[in-house]
Amino acid sequence: MKKLSFLFFLLAGLLWLGCEEIPPVINPSAGNENPNEPTPVEDQQRQVLIEEFTGVRCVNCPAGSAAIEGLLEIYGQRLVAISIHAGSFAPPYPESQYDFRIDEGINLLSFLGEPLGYPTAVVNRKKFDGEFDLQLGRQQWAGFIAEELLGEPQVKIDIENAYSDEDRKLEVTATLYVQETIVGEEARISVAITENDVQDLQLTPESGTPDPNYKHKHVLRDMLTNYDGNPLSEGLTAGAAIVKDYTITLPNDWIADNCQVVVFVHLAGDKKEVLQVHHAGVTE
Amino acid sequence: MKNLKALFYWTFLLLFVSPLLAQENDGGQISGNLETNANFFVRDSLIGAANTPQYDRQLYGADAWFNLSYSNWGFDFGLRFDLFNNSNLLNPTGSYTDEGIGRWYIHKTIQKLNISVGYLYDQVGSGIIFRAFEERPLLIDNALYGARLSYDILPDWKIKVFTGRQKQQFDVYGSVIKGLSVDGYLSGGEGANWAIAPGFGAVNRTLDDASMNSLVATINTYSAEDAFVPKYNAYAFSAFNTLTAGNFTWYVEGAYKSRDNLNDPFGEFNVGDTAILVGDRLFLASGSVFYSSVSYANKGLGITLEGKRTENFDFRTRPQEQLNRGLVNFLPPMARVNTYRLNARYNAATQTLGEQAFQADIRYNYKRKLGINVNFSNINTLDKENSLLYREVYTEISYKHKRSWTLLGGVQSQRYNQEVFEFKPDAPVVETVIPYFDFLYKFDRKKSIRIEGQYMATGKDEKGVKHDYGNWLFGLVEFSIAPHWTFTASDMYNAAPGKNSPVDADTGQKLRLHYPRFDVFYTHRANRFSLSYIKQVEGVVCTGGICRLEPAFSGVRFTANSSF
Repeated sequence: MKKLSFLFFLLAGLLWLGCEEIPPVINPSAGNENPNEPTPVEDQQRQVLIEEFTGVRCVNCPAGSAAIEGLLEIYGQRLVAISIHAGSFAPPYPESQYDFRIDEGINLLSFLGEPLGYPTAVVNRKKFDGEFDLQLGRQQWAGFIAEELLGEPQVKIDIENAYSDEDRKLEVTATLYVQETIVGEEARISVAITENDVQDLQLTPESGTPDPNYKHKHVLRDMLTNYDGNPLSEGLTAGAAIVKDYTITLPNDWIADNCQVVVFVHLAGDKKEVLQVHHAGVTE
Repeated sequence: MKNLKALFYWTFLLLFVSPLLAQENDGGQISGNLETNANFFVRDSLIGAANTPQYDRQLYGADAWFNLSYSNWGFDFGLRFDLFNNSNLLNPTGSYTDEGIGRWYIHKTIQKLNISVGYLYDQVGSGIIFRAFEERPLLIDNALYGARLSYDILPDWKIKVFTGRQKQQFDVYGSVIKGLSVDGYLSGGEGANWAIAPGFGAVNRTLDDASMNSLVATINTYSAEDAFVPKYNAYAFSAFNTLTAGNFTWYVEGAYKSRDNLNDPFGEFNVGDTAILVGDRLFLASGSVFYSSVSYANKGLGITLEGKRTENFDFRTRPQEQLNRGLVNFLPPMARVNTYRLNARYNAATQTLGEQAFQADIRYNYKRKLGINVNFSNINTLDKENSLLYREVYTEISYKHKRSWTLLGGVQSQRYNQEVFEFKPDAPVVETVIPYFDFLYKFDRKKSIRIEGQYMATGKDEKGVKHDYGNWLFGLVEFSIAPHWTFTASDMYNAAPGKNSPVDADTGQKLRLHYPRFDVFYTHRANRFSLSYIKQVEGVVCTGGICRLEPAFSGVRFTANSSF
């Protein structure tokens, strides 16, 4: 048994050998090779959707929004953000100009699952290995976005917007170029309108009271499809080109130049994963 | 994974069920218990019990744990079935559904060697560097899924080594945790009045590649000033000792953790030249904890003094985990664990990144009739501001009159840093003063009635508005018919609403709401059942030093606990 004791101590000692490790390579603010300008649809790479859930009363959410802006700087056109105002922090203040909550956003929070805390976001509506649910804390976004960007697009999306300043009518034509046949899963299309730089009250850690000069980014304003998408009854067969048209009249209090059309194709069964996303400015 | 679980499940059944069926039980022993909760959710938007899947559409949720243990042939076997149906335990505003084998283990002792495999609960010292534990009210189940060997190197000395990964509901995290501890005991021999129980522990956590890749991707979004090179390995060491000398007991533990990837929820980022952004920020730092407690006990007198200093000692299976998830260790709380409803409303959750705390507790009991308890605790931040996190003065006096009645009462005063504990920026430090009483009267050997009451008076902010929810009044009546029945009725009334109290949508006036509760408990031998109608205000719920913010609850709850 003395030998066994010795063995234990030896094993214990071995545990702490080799304290030197080869560190990972860090390259702060990397990734600037990603495109900042729209690329032709034939050259479209895998693009990732991040859906942030936020609220004007959520004091920690501006930090999350700033983190998304940082990610957009790095990933350029390959990352598309939507900020959804829903949940307990979303009710506006009496002095707020806007109520950013819309039915589709509230339904999306329920559809994608309540988060443990805020800031929170869903990346490509995917439940990643080792995660409890779709909602991810801020420290996890960058890693999963990088992981998702490694894939090839199963669908490429082209968006043509025709906007008239006179009657504020917007006609959206989305063309889906299917790259891989999707079998056994229902696919759907979602089309959202977001608006950038909307100035209104937001609680921030710095202000203590709601900041009236805060500029809200990527606010989900409306959806031209159901909140959980419209079925693509044609099915997704490699080589097919599917054209979908949508129309909306922009309300007067939206600034058309700041509005984006976001189109994404996603699954609709147990898995809700986004296959590809693309966006285009309303007036571009 | 599922197949592996099934294999163990059937192996387990074969091991212990077949001998039972064959009626050839050769000294084996089987035991077990069931714990189950069922919630029926009744929407009440006024108190904030709304807008979760349970209130919106599911209406029902349940949690259950069924545990079996069997010992025979020098082995101990254990198996636990866990069930969560639309449960709000994992995420108070979410819904979690899953079920399966939540735990299994096998222990075997071969002379001085003890072998354990499976899902293991254990700790090193007081848990400061490692604790694998379970807290069901918060759905924390940090069992180590792995193997442990312990060996008695001397009659009173034991060495233990372990390795494994932390449980994550029905899965495991990727990081590997391994460690060792040596625990001993020395005394002055027969007739001596002193003894020591020294120990040493070391724990290492190695981050898995997926977690590291995610970490690197996040750090790559930082500016060059904020970025750092993360570590795969973190090493934590701890030395501890309990000295018992006469009426004195002195416990001391010092722990150090090598540089580790940490997350500061109040971290500051430089944005541009002047702007600073506050939010989650990863950083690299070494950490330390020093904890000591001295207690004296003699006849009716007991005195305990405790002190703790914590710096950067957040130890998680991966730094991406938040709040109560992925904790490798456990830092002992440094404030009194209160039980009365209003006294327990504000709790000091352990601050793993930095705090310095002191606690004193004095108890005196005179002839088992008169009891006095005074407790003082003070917790401050570790930074330059040395801001107050929590302070409590608790006094209690109790008198027992023969066997017929007992009266207990006292006053509690608190200072509670809501901004830090509940992440509510610019919330003032909540000030409370709570007088309370508890009266128990026994009609006879079977029937008794207990009445308790508390009043919480809160302070006001600079605008004259009462802190948080303002003043509360709580009353409870409990009638017991031993040994089976207990009935309780209680109400918590927001007597003078505060800043965060609900507002009437029409008038804009703060509402003075009632939060009633009715319970029926039935106990039969080792079985206990309860049925409750509950309206509960939002608050921080703690078990030990671990707390989380719980939303309001409205509905009916059924619980069953059974042991055999």
